Amino acid sequence: MIRISEVYKYRGHECVINGVNLVIPQGTQVGLIGPGGAGKSLLMKICAGLVRPDSGSVLIDGTEVVGIGDVEMTSVRSKIGMLFQNYALFDFMTVEENIGFPLRQLGGRTEEEIRDEVNRLLLAVDLPNTQKLFPNELSGGMKKRVTFARAVIANPPILFYDDPTAGLDPVTSGKIFALLEERRERGGTTSIVVSHDILGMRDICDSFVLMDHGRIVFSGTREEIEASTRPFVGQFWRGEADD
Amino acid sequence: MTKHTQAYVAALSPTQRRIAQLGVIFVPIVTQVTEILRVGSLAFYYAFKKPIRWREVVQQSFFIGNRSLAFVMIVLGFLGMILIFQSGFQAKRIVGDLQGMGALYLQLLFREFAPTVTALMLATRVGTGIAAEIGSMVVTEQVDALRMNNAEPIQYLVVPRLLASIVMTFVLSCVALCVAFGTGMFVANTVFEVNVATFYNTSLLEWGDLIIFSLKALAYGITIPIIASQAGLSAFGGSEGVGTATTMAVVNASLAVTILDFVLSGVGYIFFFS
Amino acid sequence: MQALSPFKLLSRFGAAFMEVALDVGGMAVLLYKVIRCFFPPKLDGMETWRNLYKVGVKSAPIVVVTALLTGAIMVIQSGALVAQFDAFGLLGWGAGFATLREVGPIMIGLMFSGRVGANNTAELGTMKVTDQIDALRALAIDPITYLLVPRFIAIVLMMFLLTIVGDLTALVGGAYTGQVLLGVSPSLFASSVIEYIKLEDLFNGLFKAFTFGVAIAVVSSHYGMTTSGGAVGVGRSVNNSVVASAVLIFVLDYFITSILH
Ligand SMILES: Nc1ncnc2c1ncn2[C@@H]1O[C@H](COP(=O)(O)OP(=O)(O)OP(=O)(O)O)[C@@H](O)[C@H]1O
Ligand SMILES: [Mg+2]
Repeated sequence: MIRISEVYKYRGHECVINGVNLVIPQGTQVGLIGPGGAGKSLLMKICAGLVRPDSGSVLIDGTEVVGIGDVEMTSVRSKIGMLFQNYALFDFMTVEENIGFPLRQLGGRTEEEIRDEVNRLLLAVDLPNTQKLFPNELSGGMKKRVTFARAVIANPPILFYDDPTAGLDPVTSGKIFALLEERRERGGTTSIVVSHDILGMRDICDSFVLMDHGRIVFSGTREEIEASTRPFVGQFWRGEADD
Repeated sequence: MTKHTQAYVAALSPTQRRIAQLGVIFVPIVTQVTEILRVGSLAFYYAFKKPIRWREVVQQSFFIGNRSLAFVMIVLGFLGMILIFQSGFQAKRIVGDLQGMGALYLQLLFREFAPTVTALMLATRVGTGIAAEIGSMVVTEQVDALRMNNAEPIQYLVVPRLLASIVMTFVLSCVALCVAFGTGMFVANTVFEVNVATFYNTSLLEWGDLIIFSLKALAYGITIPIIASQAGLSAFGGSEGVGTATTMAVVNASLAVTILDFVLSGVGYIFFFS
Repeated sequence: MQALSPFKLLSRFGAAFMEVALDVGGMAVLLYKVIRCFFPPKLDGMETWRNLYKVGVKSAPIVVVTALLTGAIMVIQSGALVAQFDAFGLLGWGAGFATLREVGPIMIGLMFSGRVGANNTAELGTMKVTDQIDALRALAIDPITYLLVPRFIAIVLMMFLLTIVGDLTALVGGAYTGQVLLGVSPSLFASSVIEYIKLEDLFNGLFKAFTFGVAIAVVSSHYGMTTSGGAVGVGRSVNNSVVASAVLIFVLDYFITSILH
């Protein structure tokens, strides 16, 4: 379970995360949506303990992650998988080494097992025979799929997907969403999905949170959001331009 | 500024406020020094903790050597010629005798020029390299990805560079010493007609010179990668951030080398040579 | 490392040589283009003024600190010798001569290259990789006159002026250290400087400073303007720029020293 309470983050005098409260129950998949610059990526990084908020608290399975060091975070971090919006692939490692990295860090597996697991995932994301390539030899969409594979390879119970389908063609994007759905159905994974592809996300999330200017402006299930009478919520959900 | 300091500053008279603003100059210096010390102490903590990525240490040593060997040799070669040129003409004018030049030159190379000029060159070559590498890993979030996988960036990135740099700074300083002495000998021989056997004179060398040489090489070898790593880790923004980090690395590292040189030369003088 | 065949080694050497030749050629063309802008003078007054201010403010503190320490180190290193021969009257000459002619311009040049040269490369490089330079061209603004000429003037002039400041500071640092470490009074130090050091020594050093300034300006602008490849590329350019500047400083110093004798 993830419990975010009263989180504030300033950049200079500007408030970029403005008093966010959110509870994500065990085993649910939450869709985090909102216009560009709303603070979605930043909120995720705060949850992962990568950015320290100016105030507030974030509990992950009962452990406070705000203000503790990387060493104390070890046990929490090994539960979290993260797909970065801007790939964050290690450019000095091959695709194979990148994807296998989390398993290698966890230890307890032979190189053989790691290689098999990597190959299985590469097949699942439709990237066969790319094992020996380096990230700078991949297209944007290919990189996205590699980060996806790296995020999920260790089967972490908590997953943060930051824009997993950006830059992908509709077919591949559908495949990635199908993989997310498959993971959700297996159960036990608590996850946050950030995406601008609301059509693709509609069916795979248990609930939705809409952010704007660092605040949560609406949260609820798909039915609730569709029934909302607030103009901003409806407009954003249906992707209409305001005038 | 916190609200508390804001209120405090508001209550000051204009003159007082102007004086208080002087503090603004020191705040970044103090924060940077603290940050460097933090990275440094963490690096040492992890350097004595397993696991150490020895393969990476070897690879980094190779990088440092491969990247800077030619550079250090060219610079120190020219420096050796310059030094003998200048001191030769001066000695001829004032002292009139060039026989003792080689011995003095060798001593000065040990105490000062070989380790320090090598370090200044490594600060530019290796310092910018480390800052650029780590800096671009920070701005492309690779460092965040490391942290997410419980690979502590300081242990994973800084420690191998630190160990490699300690070894290679010493090795390159020795190479530098030989090259600078060789080119100096060449100029002494061709321009001032000093016999090679006369020039090669170790009579003035003491243990103190060797100790100062090693101490300096060790201190520089530790300081440069730590300062450069700190600069890289503090990068933010895009390509601009990497540029700023690399600039910061050269400046801070060169300045640190100069300060260490001053301190260690003073220590050497007081303990060994006075 | 796998063994290299002689042919491979040769071709690798050739490639490295070609790269250096390309850079040197690029720098020469750049220098020519910048100098051409002075006949007749074509430059942006405001931009030049802004650059002078920026370069001066940015590098003055570090030059002063470096010079102080350099003067002190020169005295420490000659201390043992001076004490051994009881030649306290020569301390000012020894430290002063070395500082004015060699160590001053070299140390200030290296620091200046790190502070200003690296910054210049980083700035131009960032503009290049984010297509800002092409944007200027698209607006019919010549990047050479608008961006490079003001930077050239600022770098060369400030390097020259700061060397004067640095020389003075280094002498002060030397005199003070001489007093603390060897008990040589500042007045003895000063009279030794005045007696033995000729104006020619100062001018020799300042001429070097001027040349180093030109070298730093050309090298840093060249590597900035030829940057490619995003954030990594900017880092690489800065690295190349400071390394090339350092090599040029020592090589130029050698030739100036040997020719002017
Ligand atoms: N470490 C940080 N500290 C302070 N502010 C930050 C930090 N990182 C990002 N920000 C600011 O937070 C704001 C929100 O950025 P964020 O990347 O979270 O937007 P986003 O909702 O993910 O947008 P997009 O949909 O375009 O990805 C921006 O104004 C950004 O400048
Ligand atoms: Mg985002």
